[in-house]
Amino acid sequence: MNTDLLVVAVLAGVANWAFRALPILARTDRLAAGGWLERFFSATGPAAIATLFVAAILPELVPDPARLVPALTGTLAVLATFRLRRSVVLSTLAGAVIHGATVWLLG
Amino acid sequence: MSRTRPPFLDGLIASLPIVLGYFPIAFSFGVAATRSGFTAPEAAALSLIIFAGASQFLALALLTSGAPVLVSAFTLIAMNLRHVLYGPALMREAGREAGTRHAWAWAFGLTDEVFGQALGALARGQRFSEPYMFGLGLGAYASWVSGTLAGAVAGGGALDGWPALGAGLGFMLPALFLALLLSILSRRQLPVIAVAGAVTVVATLAISATSGILLGMLAGALAGLVRR
Repeated sequence: MNTDLLVVAVLAGVANWAFRALPILARTDRLAAGGWLERFFSATGPAAIATLFVAAILPELVPDPARLVPALTGTLAVLATFRLRRSVVLSTLAGAVIHGATVWLLG
Repeated sequence: MSRTRPPFLDGLIASLPIVLGYFPIAFSFGVAATRSGFTAPEAAALSLIIFAGASQFLALALLTSGAPVLVSAFTLIAMNLRHVLYGPALMREAGREAGTRHAWAWAFGLTDEVFGQALGALARGQRFSEPYMFGLGLGAYASWVSGTLAGAVAGGGALDGWPALGAGLGFMLPALFLALLLSILSRRQLPVIAVAGAVTVVATLAISATSGILLGMLAGALAGLVRR
Protein backbone atom coordinates (compact mmCIF):
# COMPACT_ATOMS: atom_id res chain seq x y z
CA MET A 1 0.00 0.00 0.00
CA ASN A 2 1.31 3.44 -1.03
CA THR A 3 2.11 5.34 2.21
CA ASP A 4 1.57 8.82 0.72
CA LEU A 5 -1.87 7.75 -0.48
CA LEU A 6 -2.78 6.42 2.96
CA VAL A 7 -1.62 9.58 4.75
CA VAL A 8 -3.57 11.83 2.35
CA ALA A 9 -6.64 9.59 2.61
CA VAL A 10 -6.60 9.51 6.42
CA LEU A 11 -6.09 13.29 6.77
CA ALA A 12 -8.85 14.06 4.26
CA GLY A 13 -11.11 11.37 5.74
CA VAL A 14 -10.72 12.63 9.31
CA ALA A 15 -11.41 16.20 8.16
CA ASN A 16 -14.49 15.01 6.25
CA TRP A 17 -15.81 13.25 9.33
CA ALA A 18 -15.15 16.35 11.45
CA PHE A 19 -16.90 18.65 8.94
CA ARG A 20 -19.91 16.36 8.73
CA ALA A 21 -20.28 15.20 12.35
CA LEU A 22 -18.94 17.84 14.75
CA PRO A 23 -21.43 20.63 13.91
CA ILE A 24 -24.25 18.11 14.55
CA LEU A 25 -22.76 16.83 17.81
CA ALA A 26 -22.30 20.42 18.99
CA ARG A 27 -25.93 21.17 17.93
CA THR A 28 -24.80 24.45 16.40
CA ASP A 29 -28.34 24.80 15.04
CA ARG A 30 -29.67 25.11 18.63
CA LEU A 31 -27.08 27.75 19.47
CA ALA A 32 -28.27 29.60 16.40
CA ALA A 33 -31.99 29.35 17.18
CA GLY A 34 -33.96 32.49 16.39
CA GLY A 35 -31.03 34.50 15.13
CA TRP A 36 -29.49 35.36 11.80
CA LEU A 37 -27.50 32.11 11.89
CA GLU A 38 -30.75 30.14 11.91
CA ARG A 39 -31.92 31.92 8.76
CA PHE A 40 -28.49 31.23 7.24
CA PHE A 41 -28.75 27.49 8.00
CA SER A 42 -32.33 27.35 6.78
CA ALA A 43 -31.28 28.78 3.41
CA THR A 44 -28.20 26.53 3.20
CA GLY A 45 -30.12 23.43 2.11
CA PRO A 46 -31.88 24.90 -0.93
CA ALA A 47 -28.73 26.89 -1.80
CA ALA A 48 -26.57 23.74 -1.64
CA ILE A 49 -28.90 21.62 -3.77
CA ALA A 50 -29.35 24.39 -6.35
CA THR A 51 -25.57 24.85 -6.51
CA LEU A 52 -24.91 21.13 -6.94
CA PHE A 53 -27.48 20.86 -9.74
CA VAL A 54 -26.03 23.84 -11.60
CA ALA A 55 -22.47 22.54 -11.11
CA ALA A 56 -23.50 19.10 -12.41
CA ILE A 57 -25.41 20.33 -15.48
CA LEU A 58 -23.07 23.19 -16.44
CA PRO A 59 -20.41 21.04 -18.20
CA GLU A 60 -23.16 19.65 -20.48
CA LEU A 61 -24.32 23.08 -21.65
CA VAL A 62 -21.89 23.36 -24.57
CA PRO A 63 -22.67 24.12 -28.23
CA ASP A 64 -22.34 20.42 -29.09
CA PRO A 65 -25.77 18.86 -29.84
CA ALA A 66 -24.47 15.40 -28.87
CA ARG A 67 -24.13 16.64 -25.26
CA LEU A 68 -26.60 19.53 -25.13
CA VAL A 69 -29.68 17.72 -26.51
CA PRO A 70 -29.51 14.72 -24.11
CA ALA A 71 -28.99 17.15 -21.19
CA LEU A 72 -32.12 19.06 -22.22
CA THR A 73 -34.31 15.99 -22.80
CA GLY A 74 -33.08 14.44 -19.54
CA THR A 75 -33.86 17.66 -17.64
CA LEU A 76 -37.32 17.90 -19.22
CA ALA A 77 -37.97 14.26 -18.32
CA VAL A 78 -37.15 14.98 -14.66
CA LEU A 79 -39.42 18.05 -14.64
CA ALA A 80 -42.32 16.25 -16.34
CA THR A 81 -42.09 13.12 -14.18
CA PHE A 82 -41.88 15.13 -10.98
CA ARG A 83 -44.92 17.16 -12.01
CA LEU A 84 -46.90 14.00 -12.69
CA ARG A 85 -45.74 11.72 -9.87
CA ARG A 86 -44.02 13.91 -7.22
CA SER A 87 -41.42 11.17 -6.74
CA VAL A 88 -37.68 11.84 -6.45
CA VAL A 89 -36.80 8.23 -7.34
CA LEU A 90 -39.03 8.02 -10.44
CA SER A 91 -37.98 11.48 -11.69
CA THR A 92 -34.30 10.62 -11.33
CA LEU A 93 -34.68 7.31 -13.15
CA ALA A 94 -36.79 8.91 -15.91
CA GLY A 95 -34.16 11.61 -16.43
CA ALA A 96 -31.35 9.05 -16.71
CA VAL A 97 -33.32 6.76 -19.04
CA ILE A 98 -34.39 9.57 -21.39
CA HIS A 99 -30.84 11.00 -21.36
CA GLY A 100 -29.37 7.60 -22.27
CA ALA A 101 -32.06 6.99 -24.91
CA THR A 102 -31.39 10.38 -26.50
CA VAL A 103 -27.65 9.62 -26.68
CA TRP A 104 -28.51 6.28 -28.29
CA LEU A 105 -30.88 7.90 -30.84
CA LEU A 106 -28.36 10.63 -31.72
CA GLY A 107 -25.48 8.18 -31.88
CA MET B 1 -42.38 7.57 6.67
CA SER B 2 -44.10 4.19 6.50
CA ARG B 3 -45.41 2.87 9.80
CA THR B 4 -44.96 -0.73 8.80
CA ARG B 5 -41.29 -0.55 7.84
CA PRO B 6 -38.43 0.09 10.25
CA PRO B 7 -36.83 3.51 9.62
CA PHE B 8 -33.47 1.89 8.82
CA LEU B 9 -35.07 0.01 5.93
CA ASP B 10 -36.87 3.17 4.84
CA GLY B 11 -33.51 4.93 4.68
CA LEU B 12 -31.97 2.09 2.73
CA ILE B 13 -34.83 2.20 0.20
CA ALA B 14 -34.60 6.00 -0.02
CA SER B 15 -30.91 5.60 -0.90
CA LEU B 16 -31.83 3.79 -4.16
CA PRO B 17 -31.43 6.79 -6.51
CA ILE B 18 -28.14 7.62 -4.79
CA VAL B 19 -26.99 4.00 -5.09
CA LEU B 20 -27.79 4.06 -8.83
CA GLY B 21 -26.10 7.44 -9.23
CA TYR B 22 -23.00 6.61 -7.21
CA PHE B 23 -22.15 3.22 -8.67
CA PRO B 24 -21.16 4.39 -12.18
CA ILE B 25 -19.24 7.39 -10.82
CA ALA B 26 -17.41 5.19 -8.30
CA PHE B 27 -16.82 2.71 -11.11
CA SER B 28 -15.17 5.39 -13.23
CA PHE B 29 -13.14 6.43 -10.17
CA GLY B 30 -11.91 2.84 -9.79
CA VAL B 31 -10.96 2.78 -13.47
CA ALA B 32 -9.16 6.14 -13.18
CA ALA B 33 -7.28 4.98 -10.07
CA THR B 34 -5.91 1.86 -11.74
CA ARG B 35 -5.03 3.91 -14.83
CA SER B 36 -3.06 6.22 -12.52
CA GLY B 37 -1.05 3.24 -11.33
CA PHE B 38 -2.82 2.45 -8.05
CA THR B 39 -3.93 -1.04 -7.07
CA ALA B 40 -7.55 -2.08 -6.49
CA PRO B 41 -7.08 -2.16 -2.65
CA GLU B 42 -5.56 1.36 -2.80
CA ALA B 43 -8.50 2.65 -4.88
CA ALA B 44 -10.94 1.02 -2.44
CA ALA B 45 -9.04 2.50 0.53
CA LEU B 46 -9.53 6.02 -0.87
CA SER B 47 -13.28 5.43 -1.20
CA LEU B 48 -13.55 3.75 2.22
CA ILE B 49 -11.62 6.45 4.09
CA ILE B 50 -12.47 9.69 2.21
CA PHE B 51 -15.98 8.97 0.81
CA ALA B 52 -16.21 12.23 -1.16
CA GLY B 53 -16.36 11.89 -4.93
CA ALA B 54 -14.85 14.95 -6.52
CA SER B 55 -12.05 15.23 -3.98
CA GLN B 56 -11.05 11.62 -4.61
CA PHE B 57 -10.56 12.31 -8.33
CA LEU B 58 -8.49 15.31 -7.31
CA ALA B 59 -6.51 13.09 -4.91
CA LEU B 60 -5.49 10.90 -7.84
CA ALA B 61 -4.30 13.92 -9.81
CA LEU B 62 -2.36 15.31 -6.84
CA LEU B 63 -0.77 12.02 -5.83
CA THR B 64 0.35 11.17 -9.36
CA SER B 65 1.66 14.69 -10.00
CA GLY B 66 4.01 14.32 -7.04
CA ALA B 67 2.46 17.15 -4.99
CA PRO B 68 3.67 17.17 -1.36
CA VAL B 69 1.52 15.02 0.93
CA LEU B 70 0.43 17.88 3.21
CA VAL B 71 -0.39 20.16 0.27
CA SER B 72 -2.49 17.40 -1.27
CA ALA B 73 -4.32 16.71 1.98
CA PHE B 74 -4.96 20.42 2.60
CA THR B 75 -6.36 20.87 -0.91
CA LEU B 76 -8.79 17.99 -0.41
CA ILE B 77 -9.82 19.31 3.00
CA ALA B 78 -10.50 22.79 1.60
CA MET B 79 -12.59 21.25 -1.16
CA ASN B 80 -14.91 19.57 1.36
CA LEU B 81 -15.31 22.56 3.65
CA ARG B 82 -18.90 23.03 2.43
CA HIS B 83 -19.94 19.95 4.41
CA VAL B 84 -19.64 22.01 7.62
CA LEU B 85 -22.97 23.62 6.75
CA TYR B 86 -24.91 20.41 6.07
CA GLY B 87 -25.27 19.11 9.64
CA PRO B 88 -26.70 22.32 11.12
CA ALA B 89 -28.99 22.86 8.09
CA LEU B 90 -30.32 19.31 8.42
CA MET B 91 -30.77 19.46 12.19
CA ARG B 92 -32.56 22.78 11.91
CA GLU B 93 -35.18 21.11 9.73
CA ALA B 94 -35.21 18.03 11.99
CA GLY B 95 -36.26 20.13 14.98
CA ARG B 96 -34.86 20.82 18.42
CA GLU B 97 -35.90 17.45 19.86
CA ALA B 98 -34.23 15.36 17.13
CA GLY B 99 -31.75 12.84 18.55
CA THR B 100 -28.07 13.08 17.69
CA ARG B 101 -26.70 10.36 19.99
CA HIS B 102 -25.33 8.31 17.13
CA ALA B 103 -24.47 11.21 14.84
CA TRP B 104 -20.75 10.51 15.32
CA ALA B 105 -21.33 7.40 13.19
CA TRP B 106 -24.07 8.24 10.65
CA ALA B 107 -22.81 11.76 9.96
CA PHE B 108 -19.75 10.34 8.15
CA GLY B 109 -22.21 9.38 5.39
CA LEU B 110 -23.56 12.93 5.04
CA THR B 111 -22.46 13.52 1.46
CA ASP B 112 -24.05 16.08 -0.89
CA GLU B 113 -26.62 13.60 -2.12
CA VAL B 114 -27.40 12.02 1.27
CA PHE B 115 -27.88 15.51 2.70
CA GLY B 116 -30.17 16.45 -0.19
CA GLN B 117 -32.24 13.29 0.09
CA ALA B 118 -32.59 13.62 3.90
CA LEU B 119 -33.57 17.27 3.63
CA GLY B 120 -36.11 16.43 0.91
CA ALA B 121 -37.66 13.75 3.13
CA LEU B 122 -38.00 16.23 6.03
CA ALA B 123 -39.50 18.83 3.67
CA ARG B 124 -42.13 16.25 2.65
CA GLY B 125 -43.14 15.91 6.30
CA GLN B 126 -41.14 12.85 7.31
CA ARG B 127 -40.01 12.71 10.93
CA PHE B 128 -36.24 12.75 11.56
CA SER B 129 -34.78 9.43 12.67
CA GLU B 130 -31.20 8.33 13.23
CA PRO B 131 -31.80 4.74 11.95
CA TYR B 132 -33.19 6.30 8.73
CA MET B 133 -29.97 8.32 8.39
CA PHE B 134 -27.94 5.13 8.95
CA GLY B 135 -29.89 3.32 6.19
CA LEU B 136 -29.57 6.22 3.77
CA GLY B 137 -25.85 6.67 4.39
CA LEU B 138 -25.06 2.96 4.38
CA GLY B 139 -26.72 2.39 0.99
CA ALA B 140 -24.76 5.27 -0.50
CA TYR B 141 -21.48 4.16 1.14
CA ALA B 142 -21.85 0.52 0.04
CA SER B 143 -22.57 1.60 -3.53
CA TRP B 144 -19.59 3.98 -3.55
CA VAL B 145 -17.09 1.44 -2.23
CA SER B 146 -18.36 -1.52 -4.29
CA GLY B 147 -18.49 0.65 -7.44
CA THR B 148 -14.88 1.68 -6.87
CA LEU B 149 -13.78 -1.93 -6.43
CA ALA B 150 -15.71 -3.07 -9.51
CA GLY B 151 -14.14 -0.29 -11.60
CA ALA B 152 -10.63 -1.00 -10.30
CA VAL B 153 -10.98 -4.71 -11.02
CA ALA B 154 -12.66 -4.25 -14.45
CA GLY B 155 -10.05 -1.71 -15.55
CA GLY B 156 -10.35 0.81 -18.40
CA GLY B 157 -12.76 0.48 -21.29
CA ALA B 158 -15.44 -1.49 -19.43
CA LEU B 159 -18.26 0.84 -20.53
CA ASP B 160 -16.70 1.89 -23.86
CA GLY B 161 -18.92 -0.48 -25.84
CA TRP B 162 -22.09 0.96 -24.24
CA PRO B 163 -21.93 4.76 -24.68
CA ALA B 164 -25.70 5.31 -24.21
CA LEU B 165 -25.70 3.31 -20.98
CA GLY B 166 -22.63 5.16 -19.72
CA ALA B 167 -24.22 8.52 -20.61
CA GLY B 168 -27.53 7.66 -18.93
CA LEU B 169 -25.77 6.52 -15.77
CA GLY B 170 -23.64 9.67 -15.86
CA PHE B 171 -26.80 11.80 -15.93
CA MET B 172 -28.13 10.13 -12.78
CA LEU B 173 -26.60 12.69 -10.40
CA PRO B 174 -27.71 15.89 -12.20
CA ALA B 175 -31.18 14.28 -12.47
CA LEU B 176 -31.14 13.47 -8.75
CA PHE B 177 -30.12 17.01 -7.77
CA LEU B 178 -32.87 18.48 -9.95
CA ALA B 179 -35.49 16.11 -8.50
CA LEU B 180 -34.33 16.96 -4.96
CA LEU B 181 -34.48 20.66 -5.78
CA LEU B 182 -38.06 20.26 -7.04
CA SER B 183 -38.99 18.33 -3.89
CA ILE B 184 -37.93 21.16 -1.57
CA LEU B 185 -38.96 24.02 -3.85
CA SER B 186 -41.06 26.74 -2.26
CA ARG B 187 -41.84 30.33 -3.21
CA ARG B 188 -40.00 31.49 -0.07
CA GLN B 189 -36.77 29.84 -1.17
CA LEU B 190 -36.83 30.99 -4.81
CA PRO B 191 -34.49 34.00 -4.30
CA VAL B 192 -32.02 31.73 -2.44
CA ILE B 193 -32.07 29.21 -5.29
CA ALA B 194 -31.75 31.89 -7.99
CA VAL B 195 -28.79 33.59 -6.28
CA ALA B 196 -27.04 30.26 -5.59
CA GLY B 197 -27.47 29.16 -9.21
CA ALA B 198 -26.32 32.46 -10.72
CA VAL B 199 -23.25 32.77 -8.50
CA THR B 200 -22.30 29.14 -9.21
CA VAL B 201 -22.34 29.81 -12.96
CA VAL B 202 -20.32 33.03 -12.71
CA ALA B 203 -17.75 31.70 -10.20
CA THR B 204 -17.31 28.41 -12.10
CA LEU B 205 -16.66 30.25 -15.37
CA ALA B 206 -14.48 32.94 -13.78
CA ILE B 207 -12.50 30.89 -11.24
CA SER B 208 -13.01 27.11 -10.99
CA ALA B 209 -15.66 24.44 -10.47
CA THR B 210 -14.75 24.03 -6.78
CA SER B 211 -14.98 27.78 -6.16
CA GLY B 212 -18.28 27.82 -8.02
CA ILE B 213 -19.79 25.27 -5.64
CA LEU B 214 -18.45 26.91 -2.48
CA LEU B 215 -19.30 30.50 -3.47
CA GLY B 216 -22.70 29.55 -4.92
CA MET B 217 -23.67 27.83 -1.69
CA LEU B 218 -22.45 30.70 0.47
CA ALA B 219 -24.11 33.37 -1.68
CA GLY B 220 -27.43 31.47 -1.61
CA ALA B 221 -27.30 31.03 2.15
CA LEU B 222 -26.45 34.73 2.57
CA ALA B 223 -29.40 35.62 0.32
CA GLY B 224 -31.54 33.85 2.92
CA LEU B 225 -30.42 36.50 5.42
CA VAL B 226 -31.19 39.48 3.22
CA ARG B 227 -34.78 38.62 2.46
CA ARG B 228 -36.29 39.33 5.89
